Amino acid sequence: MKFIVSRFNPDSDSKPYMQTFEVEVRCGMMLRDALMEIKRQDESFAFRHSCGEGVCGSDGVNVNGTNRLACITPVAELKEPVEIRPFPGRPIIRELVVDMSQFYEQYKAVEPWLVRKDPMPEQEILQSPADRDKLDGLYECILCGCCSTACPSFWWNPEKFHGPQALLTAWRFLADSRDQATDRRLDELEEPYKLFRCHTIMNCVEVCPKGLNPTQAIGHIKHLMLKKAI
Amino acid sequence: MSRKASGLKAWVLQRATAIYIGLFSIVLLAVLLFDPPRDYAQWRDWFADPLIGIATLVYVVAILLHAWVGIRDILIDYVKPLGLRVTLLALVALGLLACGLWASQSLILVRLV
Amino acid sequence: MALARRRFDALIIGAGGAGLNAAIQLAKTDARVAVVSKVFPTRSHTVAAQGGVNAALANVMPDNWHWHMFDTVKGSDYLGDQDAIEYMCREAIPTVYELEHNGVPFSRLDNGKIYQRPFGGMTQNFGGAQAARTCAAADRTGHAILHTLYQQNLRARTHFFDEYFAIDLIRDDEGAILGALVLEIETGEPLLIEAKATVLATGGCGQAFRTTSNAHINTGDGMAMALRAGVPLMDMEFFQFHPTGIAGRGMLITEGVRGEGGYLINKDGERFMERYAPNAKDLASRDVVSRAIVTEVKEGRGCGPNGDHVYLKLDHLGEEIISKRLPGIRESGRIFAGVDAAREPLPVFPTAHYAMGGIPTDRYGRVLAPVGTGEEIVPGLYAAGECACVSVHGGNRLGGNSLLDILVFGRAAGLDLLQHMESHHRPMDEASVDKAMARLERWDRKGEGLSVAELREAFRRCMEDHAGVFRTEEIMTEGVERLRELREQLSEVRLQDHSKVFNTARIEALELENIMACGMAIAVSALNRQESRGTHSRPDYPKRDDVNWMKHSLYLLDGDQLDYKPVQTKPLSVETFPPKERVY
Repeated sequence: MKFIVSRFNPDSDSKPYMQTFEVEVRCGMMLRDALMEIKRQDESFAFRHSCGEGVCGSDGVNVNGTNRLACITPVAELKEPVEIRPFPGRPIIRELVVDMSQFYEQYKAVEPWLVRKDPMPEQEILQSPADRDKLDGLYECILCGCCSTACPSFWWNPEKFHGPQALLTAWRFLADSRDQATDRRLDELEEPYKLFRCHTIMNCVEVCPKGLNPTQAIGHIKHLMLKKAI
Repeated sequence: MSRKASGLKAWVLQRATAIYIGLFSIVLLAVLLFDPPRDYAQWRDWFADPLIGIATLVYVVAILLHAWVGIRDILIDYVKPLGLRVTLLALVALGLLACGLWASQSLILVRLV
Repeated sequence: MALARRRFDALIIGAGGAGLNAAIQLAKTDARVAVVSKVFPTRSHTVAAQGGVNAALANVMPDNWHWHMFDTVKGSDYLGDQDAIEYMCREAIPTVYELEHNGVPFSRLDNGKIYQRPFGGMTQNFGGAQAARTCAAADRTGHAILHTLYQQNLRARTHFFDEYFAIDLIRDDEGAILGALVLEIETGEPLLIEAKATVLATGGCGQAFRTTSNAHINTGDGMAMALRAGVPLMDMEFFQFHPTGIAGRGMLITEGVRGEGGYLINKDGERFMERYAPNAKDLASRDVVSRAIVTEVKEGRGCGPNGDHVYLKLDHLGEEIISKRLPGIRESGRIFAGVDAAREPLPVFPTAHYAMGGIPTDRYGRVLAPVGTGEEIVPGLYAAGECACVSVHGGNRLGGNSLLDILVFGRAAGLDLLQHMESHHRPMDEASVDKAMARLERWDRKGEGLSVAELREAFRRCMEDHAGVFRTEEIMTEGVERLRELREQLSEVRLQDHSKVFNTARIEALELENIMACGMAIAVSALNRQESRGTHSRPDYPKRDDVNWMKHSLYLLDGDQLDYKPVQTKPLSVETFPPKERVY
């Protein structure tokens, strides 16, 4: 099977170029296996990867124009020749490795931790199964970055717009019945950039390898904000 | 528009105006389809009705506000240099204001004449 | 160019559960702490833990830490140190509450308390009825915990060095550890981090085997660094094969599946665990279940066209339980086995999973090294998590005790480090720095040679064939010989890529050195232990031998030597659990 891969090594190249590799496809092969095979053919080919089962979120790449997690993308599903590029809109460090620091900065900016003002009980903070269910579809995010790097609003304003990932995380804490910083979290988001650059383009929903829905989370934040304002 | 108003308020404004614009457009369309005024006099009479007059004025203001929020969003998204952006925003604001004044003037004139 | 240097009070290498839980203790104080990780912290392999973390909270049924302690001692096949086990089982309870307070989204019971599921080897009343002790966040508990710990560290403003690879520990003539030489992967520049105390929290070495549930990054870096710094590795022969990896691929299917009521069947549809463990059945401890599966396959009762796996049946649990409690498993089954677990059984076979052995520590996380006939603390060095061996898992770890281990001992190491931090940095040992630099520079050698990938393949195959589930003298002697040959070949390996920026080929070469050192420790320790205990199964010595072998092995790099030390059978406050025959 033919793979056309984006190459760039800042030590020797002035700009990225595409290179074709031929990889023998086995039954059940994932894209990550194919990338590893390419690395066996040319060890200077670089990409991030680790768990191989879609939980660590290291190996997000752009495949035939769509951001995907290589380790859970069966090669059999892909149209040949397979074009593999780094995430769009991020500075390229080398080959498929991009600089994700702005993405992580936005994650940190939503204060992604549980805030509790009441004194902690001796045992667990109680939470009903129904309240816990509200976190499903939110806490599973693996920070792979497929969504935010597919979001045009994030391409335009990566330093100011939180992006779908961070906003999903913001809602994960707003939706947690144990969290006691709702007002503060909402106040922080009430300005033109952090939240309101989302124009419901919904690329994030389409590409999320875990099937999560950041657009919906963003909608929930806006509605809660409105409810609080009235 | 203040910094504070530019997040949630702008978002709500855009949606609220959209609803009004949508509804009034249907009314307008219906009038044009089923009972269109035939000449200038009929047009003038139609707008002279205070209810229609006020509703139309609100319609114009809604369109202007809706346009303002929309264009402002586009400028915030695409135009990074602050000076350029402020200039463009000012021009847009002026243009929209002029449109608004012109429309209001026409509607008021209709009432007076 | 002069080597860049930074100074911190404490250096933590590894940002999985153990490293992050140690870091949190320090971040709460004035101590200057650096956390070095070769991947972004939430990519650490803790993220892949599925089933849960054990603590006797008694949310579902009566329970107490003493029963948990008994199960752990028995599960370890009496090789675990009972003082450390008591400490861990007692600490489990506040540890889980603390996690919950920090935000871990545990699944809940109707009364709002943390959901607990049954897991293998967990009993009530010292070997009685099945207990429900494993606190779970669906089947993504490790993910939930790791992300929460990272978030709390962000809150505490811990200083992270993301994507820095630790090359070697720096030690002075007195054996004290002074910090580590690390490599910034993005720039390819080395950096010397000086610290009054260093914590190794680098995780396991499952990449030593070809079929493994472990991530690409689990290359035993910390274990190998310890070996090179003159510290032994303890009980490395005990390597757990998880019974239910996806056949042929190795991805993990949590024990929680069996905890929720799933069971194993052979090609005749027989629920074969009833023959091997009449009471606990599918929830017998992992070593027992893994051996049963391998035996079924060897005796021709395997499933599939090649008869090389068995089935894990869970479709009878119903759509609702599966999507509520085991959503990740259903996803994995669909992606990697092409099977919808809610309709068909999953094909499974044991997969290399967990190193019970590691860097010997006491229950404060302090690293111990043999001196004369006794042992002494290595000044300035701590270890916690899978890379360490306290030892709480002994010959076999129980499911749900690994998350517990990393949390409890990560925290313990952080706290002890704070209490005993020296007031000054010791003078730097430049000779040791040069040695660490030489390890890095060795890979600048140019020319033709073996590739890293070729040698790695050969090594992992050798480990699988010669140090797997069943081990005989003959197979293992051959294995050790072969490993020595492969180790010789390491010097013939050459990189073709000598660039600086994000050179993953160079990282993989350094990792290969590390994992091969761990592999040798496993093979040599295994060859010498002439008994069957826990996961270490010798058809030529089928019985456990408490008279001669109730002792920990210590493997030293220098000459592949072995030493032994006694098991600590005296707990802290309760009576000793004397060795008994282990039946489930």
